[in-house]
This record gives sequence, C-alpha cells and structure tokens, in this order.
Amino acid sequence: MEKLFRSKLFVWTLLVLTGLWPAWPIFRQDQTVLADPLQYLLHHYGFVACVLLATVLTLTPLRVLFSHSRLALAVNRHRRLLGVSAFFYALIHLGVQFFHENGWPTFFSDIRKPFLLCGLLTLVILLLLAVTSFTFMVRWMGGRRWKILHRLAYLAVPLAAYHQALARKLFPMQVLWIFIPLVVLEAARVMKHRLSTTHPPTVASTK
Amino acid sequence: MNILRPKESWHLRESEVTPESVYRLRNRREFLKTIGVGAASTFFLRSHALAATGGFPAAPNSDYPPGELRVTPYTLITSYNNFYEFGLDKGDPVVNSNRGWTPEPWTVTIGGLANNSGKWNVEDLLKKMGGIEERVYRHRCVEAWSMVVPWDGFPLRKLVDFADPKPEAKYVRLTSFEHVKGAQDAGFGGPYLEGLRIDEARNELAFIATGIYGKPIPNQNGAPLRLVTPWKYGFKGIKSIVRIDFTTREPINTWQKLAEYEYGFYANVNPSVDHPRWSQASERVIGGTLFNGRQATLMFNGYEKQVAAMYRGMDLRKYF
Repeated sequence: MEKLFRSKLFVWTLLVLTGLWPAWPIFRQDQTVLADPLQYLLHHYGFVACVLLATVLTLTPLRVLFSHSRLALAVNRHRRLLGVSAFFYALIHLGVQFFHENGWPTFFSDIRKPFLLCGLLTLVILLLLAVTSFTFMVRWMGGRRWKILHRLAYLAVPLAAYHQALARKLFPMQVLWIFIPLVVLEAARVMKHRLSTTHPPTVASTK
Repeated sequence: MNILRPKESWHLRESEVTPESVYRLRNRREFLKTIGVGAASTFFLRSHALAATGGFPAAPNSDYPPGELRVTPYTLITSYNNFYEFGLDKGDPVVNSNRGWTPEPWTVTIGGLANNSGKWNVEDLLKKMGGIEERVYRHRCVEAWSMVVPWDGFPLRKLVDFADPKPEAKYVRLTSFEHVKGAQDAGFGGPYLEGLRIDEARNELAFIATGIYGKPIPNQNGAPLRLVTPWKYGFKGIKSIVRIDFTTREPINTWQKLAEYEYGFYANVNPSVDHPRWSQASERVIGGTLFNGRQATLMFNGYEKQVAAMYRGMDLRKYF
C-alpha cells in the first residue's frame, strides 16, 4: 500500500486517467453526455480541479497528525505534482468555459458575475502557486517568502468551494464531501498545535 | 445505442424512431405509413400501458409545424431531463422514473374557484378535451440550453374552459404528484408547484402534453400530463400534474420558493435579463456540435407575436 502510494508512476497514471475519463461516456454513447458535451466537460474538469485542490491541502495535516504513518509520508511526496495538476485541470476548465460561452463576448460579459469571478480568482491563485513551484523559483524567493505566498492556497479553497456550490441549479452535495474532510483535518491540526504549545515539553529547547 | 443500460418500456427501437428526414417531410400520409406500423406494435405489445394513451396518432396542428426548426432527436429529448423528484442529474430521471413507478391509474383533480371542480380519470378527461393534436415548439431551459420538441396533447385553454373558473379566479395553480422521497432529496418541501395567470393559461400557446414524437409521453418527460409553455423557461412546464386549482392570489412556484432572486413567477424567456449566474442572451442547442452549439436566444423564445400583448406595460426586469 505504502509502496504503491510512493510510486510517481501510480499517481501520474491516476491523474492522466482522470483527464481522459470523459472518453468513457462518449464511447458508451451516453445520451446525457452527448446531449450537452461542453457542459459535461466543463463540470468534469472543474470537479477534478476542486478534488485535487482539496486533496493537496490535506497532505500537510495528514503528515502532522499521523507523523508516524509511513503512508502519510509517502503521499506527501506528491504535493507539488498534485498542486500543479489542480492548476492544470482548472486551466482546462477555463478553456472549456471559453467554448461553452461561445467566445469572448459572452465570456467577458459573464465573467463579472460573482459566481464566475470567484472561479477566475481561484485560477489566478493557482497560477501564481504553479509558476512558483519550480525548484529554482523556491530558491530564488527564499523559503519564508515562498511559504507566505503559498498560504494563498487557503484562500483558494473557500473561493473554489463557493464557485462549485453555485455551479448547479441546486446546491451540489459533492461540495461537502470534497471540502469537509479538509476542514476537519485542518481543525485537528490546529488543535494538536494548540495542545502542544500550551503544554510545552519539560525539556527546554535549545535556541 | 446504449450498450450497457437495459431497455425500458418507453424505449423505442432504432427502427421505430422517426428519422428527422422523414419527420420533416410532413406529408401526413407518408409519415403515418412510415411510422404507423412500428408505433401500433409498441402499443399493443407493451407490458403495461401508459396512462394517457388516447388519441394517437395526433393530428398535426399546421399553425405549429417544424418549419425551419431542427427537431431534437427522440433519444435526447427522453434522456436529458430535469425531473428532480427522480434524481438531480440530467441522466437520472430516465433510469429512476422507469424503475417501478407507473403513472397508472392517474386521477386529476380540479379545485379552487371552479364551477366544474372534481376528480377525473386521465383517460376520461382526455376524451372530454376532444382528442389530441401535435405541435412543434421550441423549448428553452433556464439553464441556457434548448431543444425543439414535437409535442402531442391539447391546448390548456380547453381544460380551463372545461373547469369553468369563477369570475374572481385570476390565477391557475398546478401541482405535480408528490414523490415523497424525491421531493425531499431535492429540498422542494412538498410537491412541485407552478402557476400561470389565467390569461396566460388561456393563451393559444399554452399546452398540456400527453405525448412526444407521436408516442405517449415517457415517465421522465412528465407522464401522463405535463404543461408546455414555450415562451417561458422550461421549469414552468410542470410534469405529472395531479391538481389544477383556480385562485385569486398569485401562486408561489417551487423555484421561486427555493431562490426568489434567481427565479420568478413569470419566467418569460428574455435574452436581455440575465440569470444572476449566467447570461440568457444565447443558448446551447442540445445535440448541437461541440464548437458551434450556441445560438442567440429570442425574446419570448420566438413567440413574441402570440404573447407579447399579455405583458405590455410591465417591467420585465422586475417581473422576471
């Protein structure tokens, strides 16, 4: 299990398969998909981007909370890959939106609506994080500044969740199961942090 | 066709689906000869009859021919549906509404301020409506997609006249069957409700559909009776109607109740009044091509001539 999750090949395969997933219903001649293929692609890639964004942010709390778990350490190897993939799929999502809106005029008039603006803002954040994820960029920025910048990911989450929650006529329940685990894990991490700072270890730390 | 999903009773074999080319011929005799045999065999071999089967094949109403409209294929009309009581995804109703649910027997209640209130079996009611006719209408969903549907049925005006509303009745409220669990899952808080002003209900376009493509209407499209108001967004077209009430006050329709800033009572198709989350200026044509599937949305969905007079002097931004 741990070996599998350590494997780059495994994670890459998962990521590529998610991207190719829409080929399956088209092969099956699923009428619901064929009826409105752009809407289907739009929702699929938006969904994948949200799942990846939520997933990559669970990695840190998993590592902190289960610091002895080799599995938690194994999945933490893929932080950058998952984060950049979230951006990549969000970009595809935006590209599909362009065709979905049939070009610039509607695209521009619609992007002002809060629902779509939040989606765009999420993408801008993900873009910033993706371009600064190269090793030389991290070195150039310095660890501290890089870390502060990458905290923007926590702003991207509510924006993405809000955007996704409004993507259907009725509130889609998937938003909850995508983002609630993340909220729970983060809360647990904060709790653990609080507990460890209010009861400092008896051995004085060397400064 | 679908290779994994089992065939349902409403499913037409490929040979029975009217090809668009035949459909567009509109030479009535030719048309019937082509589809008649297949259609008849499905009626008699069907394991359970659908509720409103009377009057088929319907006589086409020459005022509403397909003309230049590209009629949406039968498979798409009957597998891409919003019918939240049977699931929230477009592909759910086709599966869930054909799993044990049957609109038979079906009783329609006329109530409220009507002289001729009471309960009617749907087949009897259909006879009183004097048979059915076929009309090809544009169908525009509030979600900015559209179809062209050949409906069979009768004008709502006939039903209103039959009910004989009292002079003080100003509105018609329509109630869908209560699929208890489905309505709960969708968060409707009761059966789906819709309403029309009585003059809207008497407009020549307002229609009660009992069929599609010359066949009894499938469950997922709202068997046995559904409302069709082609100048309004699709959600006004309440499905599987069980009650019609005449009232003095404007009824609150389900979508207005759920989100009053997004959906109003009138819901007239209007390209210049956007939905808060998306533009209504254009629409995706169901079954259109991938990169050129949008077309401009027309005022009142192209039925300005028939309906504009009813809204003269009204601020359509306010009464959306």
